[in-house]
Parts: sequence; structure tokens; C-alpha cells
Amino acid sequence: MRHARLELWSRGTSFAHRRHPAAKIVVTLAFLVSIATLQPAHWPLGLLYFAMLSVLTWAARLPVLRVQMAASVVLPFATVFAIFSFFAGAPEKGLAIMARSWLSAFTTVLLMSTTSQPDLLAGLEVLHAPRFLVQVMQFLYRYLLVLLEEASAMRAAASSRAGKLGSREFRRAAAAAGVLFARSWGRANSIHQAMTARGFDGAIPRFRVLRPNLADAWYVLGLALPVIAARVALR
Amino acid sequence: MHIPDGYLSTRVWIATDLLAVPAVAVLARRAQAKFDHHRIPLMGVMGAFVFAAQMINFPAGNGTSSHLVGAALLGCLLGPAAAAIVMTAILATQALLFQDGGLLALGANVFNMAIVGVFAGYLPFAALRGSRAGLFLAGFCSLLSAAVLALSELLISGVSMPPTMLSISFAWFLVSAVIEGALTMAVAVALERIQPGCLRKPTTGGRAWVFAGGAAALLGSAGWMIASDRPDGLQSLALKTGISGNATSIITSPLGAYQASFVSNPWLAKSVAGVAGLVVIYVVCVALSRGLRATGEGA
Repeated sequence: MRHARLELWSRGTSFAHRRHPAAKIVVTLAFLVSIATLQPAHWPLGLLYFAMLSVLTWAARLPVLRVQMAASVVLPFATVFAIFSFFAGAPEKGLAIMARSWLSAFTTVLLMSTTSQPDLLAGLEVLHAPRFLVQVMQFLYRYLLVLLEEASAMRAAASSRAGKLGSREFRRAAAAAGVLFARSWGRANSIHQAMTARGFDGAIPRFRVLRPNLADAWYVLGLALPVIAARVALR
Repeated sequence: MHIPDGYLSTRVWIATDLLAVPAVAVLARRAQAKFDHHRIPLMGVMGAFVFAAQMINFPAGNGTSSHLVGAALLGCLLGPAAAAIVMTAILATQALLFQDGGLLALGANVFNMAIVGVFAGYLPFAALRGSRAGLFLAGFCSLLSAAVLALSELLISGVSMPPTMLSISFAWFLVSAVIEGALTMAVAVALERIQPGCLRKPTTGGRAWVFAGGAAALLGSAGWMIASDRPDGLQSLALKTGISGNATSIITSPLGAYQASFVSNPWLAKSVAGVAGLVVIYVVCVALSRGLRATGEGA
């Protein structure tokens, strides 16, 4: 599974992994905004960003090629639009979409492979994302893998027992979704009881408190500023 | 339907982000007021459920299969405000972990699917008091309005799409909307059988509001539909200004004059008009949710 790979990568100890998540989010946004506003004429800047992101990935001791491959999941969809643009007589527009879309995905994968999920959510909270939303995201992530496993097990069980059901397939699938819901509901209730028993009062305690330090400030200044400055300079 | 980064023009993603951020903040506050912290695990698990349910393939005829999107189903299970937050959490997780939708485009995706998608689904459900027809319409309206919004945003951004492709994708959206309606109904009926009382059926009040709101939301998406369903001369800028001009002139006329007199740049004009169209739809939704809440509290 794709996210399992991210989970593995995000546990590194490089300088990028050790930065405060809020600093990494700010740098990511600087990259994303600069990339999103690139026009076909700005291709050298696109190359510069590509080089910067690749060097960052390498410096974070991540497998550069595999990180880039992970970003390539956005390419098939972008290719379709590139072909449309080609036939509409504006091939450079289509290429720009492909480049922007892939570079943005690269930036996101880099953020996710240097930041663990709890750290990322802590960073979002520092940046004043609604606490309620962050908590829902936290629980969603915690139970996502469990339920995905359950769904695929149910799918395997159904197809090995029932085979092709023809017109009844639809009802079978609906019933499977219903069972999955009932199990999720039951699981949610028992989770809640267990957590209340352990003193849950709305917030999960953190064992590691993150405080921004000078290195984080340098990280933001050293990356976000040049990225934006380059974009502004090449108007 | 998840728009990745790199497709939307700067104005479109800025505008949708600016709309989505305060909307999510308001909805989070409202959902938090209704749900005490004990329900947060439940909401997280419901989000994970919709995520996992998207893995169950439903046969859609001719060997193709489809899956649930779930905005309407969440709306019927949790109520609209909480459902919008859970849907936002799902979209953010998909963008971060699966590169399914972009981070800057997250505002657009949240607006299409988590805000308009959930409310467009909840209104017919509430209006028909949780009947089967209401459930079907919930799925149908939810998916159709989200898909039409996504398509319009791409067109306003100037993404090239040949006319035939536009008609095909529109037909595909209609089919998907029917499937989503059927799925929402089938899953909700299965849920009621396993766990009676899990749907949040509104019992009193708000009927007139709901109907007025449903009609307004339909009108809004119909405007977009009519506007986007004009494939002739798509490559030209004229059409794109035509799209936005149409959509706004259906709802407000002063804007047409504004567009003609103050904004001479066609690119700027279409962005402004498109964004204004979104603002109108957004205001309708806010008014609806406020109206629904007011009548709900009064009853």
C-alpha cells in the first residue's frame, strides 16, 4: 500500500525530518504557490524547482527516484489533458499542466515522507486549523488501515464464496457496505469506551512536544524565500 | 472528481480556497457545538468507513464498476455540518497520502464535494423526510452538483476540453449521479436493517425552508449545467466568458453590467464572473444552513 511506504519514509532522522512540521508546511506552501502560478514560458524556473526538490529529497536521505515515482500517480490524468491541449493547438499548455501537477505532487510527497502523521497534525494545529477537523483527521487516519483491511477481506470472502452473482451483485455489495458500517459503528463505540476508561477528555496527549527553534527559522528563510523570490523575479 | 494541483488558474484556486476556509471554520464550530468530544472518535471512524466503502466495487453494467462517493450518505448519517467536516478530513487525507487531489486545489475540492456536495445531498433527504426517494435524490443531487462545479472550475481555468469530451464527461456524470443515488439508497436501506435508527431523519419543521433551499440549489447547479452545456467553439475565449456570463445573468443581472463596463480584460472578466457565480452559490448554501438551523431551533 502506498501510504505504508510514506509511513516508513517519514520515520527518518535527517535534518528535514527533525524540522518543526509548521516550518515544513510553510515551505511546502511556498513551493506549491510558486509552482501553481508557473506559465509555459517559465520552464527554466520549473527545472530549478525540480532540482531544489530533488536535492532536498536526497539530503533527507530518501530514495529520490522512488519518491519521484510516488509523485507520478498524477501523470496519467494529466496526460489526458495534455493530449486535449495538443489537439486544441496549444501543446505547451498541456505540458505546463503536466509539469505543474507532477511538481506539486513531488512537493506533497516530500512533505509527507519527511513528516509523520501525528507531527503533521500538530503542525496544522499550530497553524490554527480548526481543532475539531484536526482531531477528526487524527481518528480517521488511525482507523483507516484497519477498515481498509476489513473491506478487502470482506471482498475476498464474498468473491471466493459467491463468485459471480449477476444482477444480485449490486445488493450483495450494498449489504457488504452495510455490514462494514455496522462493524465500524461498533468499533467506534468500543474505542470510545476504552478511551474514556483511560481518561480521554477530547485531546490525545503528546509524548513529544515540538517547539520551533532557530534551525526551523533558517529552514523557512533558506527555502521559502528563494523559491518565492525566484518566482517573483521571473515575472 | 478530485482536482489535482496544476489545473486551476490562480484566480480559481484562490477564490475557492478563500470560500472554503471560512466555511470549514464555521462548519467545524457548528459541528463541535452539536457533537461533544465523545463523538469525535465516531466521526473519525465514519470517515474511515466512507474511505473503506469506496473500496467496495458496485457493478455498473457492461462490466464496468463504480464506487460510493459518500458525501450524501455521510450527510444522512451525521447531519450536514458534521458530514462536511468528515468529508473535508477525507479529502485532506486523500490529498496528503494518496496524491488524490491537490493541496492548493483542496479548497476547490472541499467546496465541491464537502460543502456543496453534502448540502445538496442533505436538502432532498430532509425535504422528503428520509424516504427512499429522498435518499436516491440525495446521492443524485450531491454527485451531480459536485461534478458540475468541478467541470465548471476547470473550464473557467481555461483547461482545454474538446466538445465531444465535454458531452461525454457530462453524460458520465449523469450516469454516475444515478449510480450514486442508487448506492446511497441501497447502503442506507441496508444500514437501517442492520442498525435501525442510524439515519438522522428530520421529523419536524423546516419543510418550507428545505424546499425553497432545494429549489435554489437545483437552480444554481442548473445554471452551471446550462452554461457548461454549450460545446460549440470551446477553444475560444468567447465561450468561456459566455459560460460565466450566463451563469451570473441567471442569478443576478447587475453583475453583467459590471463585467461589461469595468473589466475589459476577457481573462479577468471570466475569472471575476466565475468567482461571482461561486459566491452566489455559496451565499445560497450559507443562507440555507442558517435557515435550516433557525427553523430547527424554533420547532
